[in-house]
Amino acid sequence: MGFFIKLAWRNIFRNKRRTFIAGIAIAVGLASLIFCDALIRGMKDNLIKSATASFLGEGQIHARRFWETQDAEKTVNNLPTVLDGLRSEKDVELFTLRTMSLGTISSPANVSSVLFVGVNPETEQRLSRVDDVLEEGSYFRDGGKRDMVLGGDLAELLEVELGDRVVVTVSRAGSGDLAQEMFRVSGIFRFHIKEMDGSFAFARIDKAREMLGLDGGAHEIALKFRDNRFALDPGNPFWDTYSREGNEAVSWTALLPELTRVMDMVWVALGFLAVILFGIVVFGIINTLFMSLYERMFEFGVLRAVGTRPSDVRKLIVCEAGALAVLSIVMGSILGFVLTFVLAQTGIDYRGIEFAGTGFSELLYPVLHFSQFIIYPAAVFVFTILVGLYPARAAGRLTVADALRKSL
Amino acid sequence: MTNHASDLIVTENLRKDYREDDIVVPAVRGVDLVIKEREFTALVGPSGSGKTTLLNIISGLDSPTEGRVWLKGKPISEMKGAELSDFRRDHIGFVFQAYNLIPVLSAEENIEYIMMLQGVPKNERRERVRKILGDVGLQGMGRRMPPKLSGGQQQRVAIARAMVSRPGLILADEPTANLDSETGAALLDIMRELNEKTGMTFLFSTHDRMVMDRADRIITLKDGRVARDEIRAENPIR
Repeated sequence: MGFFIKLAWRNIFRNKRRTFIAGIAIAVGLASLIFCDALIRGMKDNLIKSATASFLGEGQIHARRFWETQDAEKTVNNLPTVLDGLRSEKDVELFTLRTMSLGTISSPANVSSVLFVGVNPETEQRLSRVDDVLEEGSYFRDGGKRDMVLGGDLAELLEVELGDRVVVTVSRAGSGDLAQEMFRVSGIFRFHIKEMDGSFAFARIDKAREMLGLDGGAHEIALKFRDNRFALDPGNPFWDTYSREGNEAVSWTALLPELTRVMDMVWVALGFLAVILFGIVVFGIINTLFMSLYERMFEFGVLRAVGTRPSDVRKLIVCEAGALAVLSIVMGSILGFVLTFVLAQTGIDYRGIEFAGTGFSELLYPVLHFSQFIIYPAAVFVFTILVGLYPARAAGRLTVADALRKSL
Repeated sequence: MTNHASDLIVTENLRKDYREDDIVVPAVRGVDLVIKEREFTALVGPSGSGKTTLLNIISGLDSPTEGRVWLKGKPISEMKGAELSDFRRDHIGFVFQAYNLIPVLSAEENIEYIMMLQGVPKNERRERVRKILGDVGLQGMGRRMPPKLSGGQQQRVAIARAMVSRPGLILADEPTANLDSETGAALLDIMRELNEKTGMTFLFSTHDRMVMDRADRIITLKDGRVARDEIRAENPIR
């Protein structure tokens, strides 16, 4: 076998230009796959970060069915006990309390529906990125009880600027009576997520509780874990531990199932892309090997004449396919690495583009992973060998006398 | 009747027809031939007389339309696939008109190739290559690649390749056709010497007068038939 590998390796360099062209075709396909994989990983990281670090958190605890009904009465049950438990959890890095209520917000110019969110500015600042995406003003910095930070699109709709007054109307828990308070716009944020920029308004949690009549309660506890993979495991006992006494603890994957599904679909799309790329490459390989075969028909006749078995001729062609694959894999891996590495440094600017209900809030950085240089090259190698079986079969079946017709 | 076990090559009523569309072209028409061991025989005749076809059938590269061929007492015309390849590898050496060395293998690797197929141990292969390179006058040139060798040197390598596995029969197709007369004569002398020294049988297809001059026996083919079979020198085995 070693002899055939040596012979195959030398044979593929007999027509350097053809080998190089075929090798580049395979290499570009491989590099594309490596880059697409890295891009999807980067996209996934970016979207998850956008979705979780922006505001959602990596996990949340609410009263059961609060997420579906947004009912102001459904506050987290046994809140002090839950908070004590969370403080002792080594996997929980931090958490913050929120109240959430649907209501209306009005200015002298306009009125709009709003998701009125009461937050603790200090803990919220550490978990979410509202303070990072402020376009104007400050994030509850001056200690004003009636400060409000709202989305840029909402501010435009209401035609308000920093310092302007807005009035929020919500329904009080229990009685259902309307409660109305005046706030002053202290900050305007822009996540580039339509839903958040157009309908979120943040106030201090104490003021929100007062309006909603919650008396120390909260609708939501947003969580951040020390390792973000913690939230990806639906079988983690953490979720059961905090899904008791009328509460439910859920990870972001349950809160944003569409994002998870879309990411799954993107991986499937990568699979289709791989099939298409391999499909294109297959013709290149077959063409190269057949050209090489027909060009050396007489030589194969000689090999057969001197006693080379048909199976050994097939072996030689498969080895040549393998040698072409190795060469292409080296070129493709280098090309894929360089392309991905450069873009992983510079980043790709997709900011402002919404995808799967969330948006890219930062530059998208493709993520290099060692598996990209194992799985795809291995697939290219196996695939090339499989494709090589076809010309190998043809070579094994050639009639020696026909191949030698012009000589012996 | 012939003794198939002791005769090297025996052909019986050998026929080969080629078909082109509906036209049947007979290339060999009923050849009965016996070639014994140690012969140095030239197969001559005009182009289209059936020399190449006959050599192809004798060596198992092509199959006859009718008739049978025995080589070393074995019915080679009935062998197929790996059995036929192995038989050719072990019993027949080929020397082609255009040398036909594998261009990506050095001279010694070309010579070693058949022994490698035979599973000869590496040390023995090296030793046999070294010796045969000396026999064909190519000492010290084993590492050269074919394109770096002259035509005559390449044909010497081809002869070495054909003989190194010690086959009983060497089939040579116009081995001097691409060589100048001096080089051709030298190569024929080498082959004649090896024939006498090792007892290998040589069967040439040729137009070359030099080959005919050195042959013990000249078989003339005409229109696919043996037109003349002339023994020109007494062979001690015959």
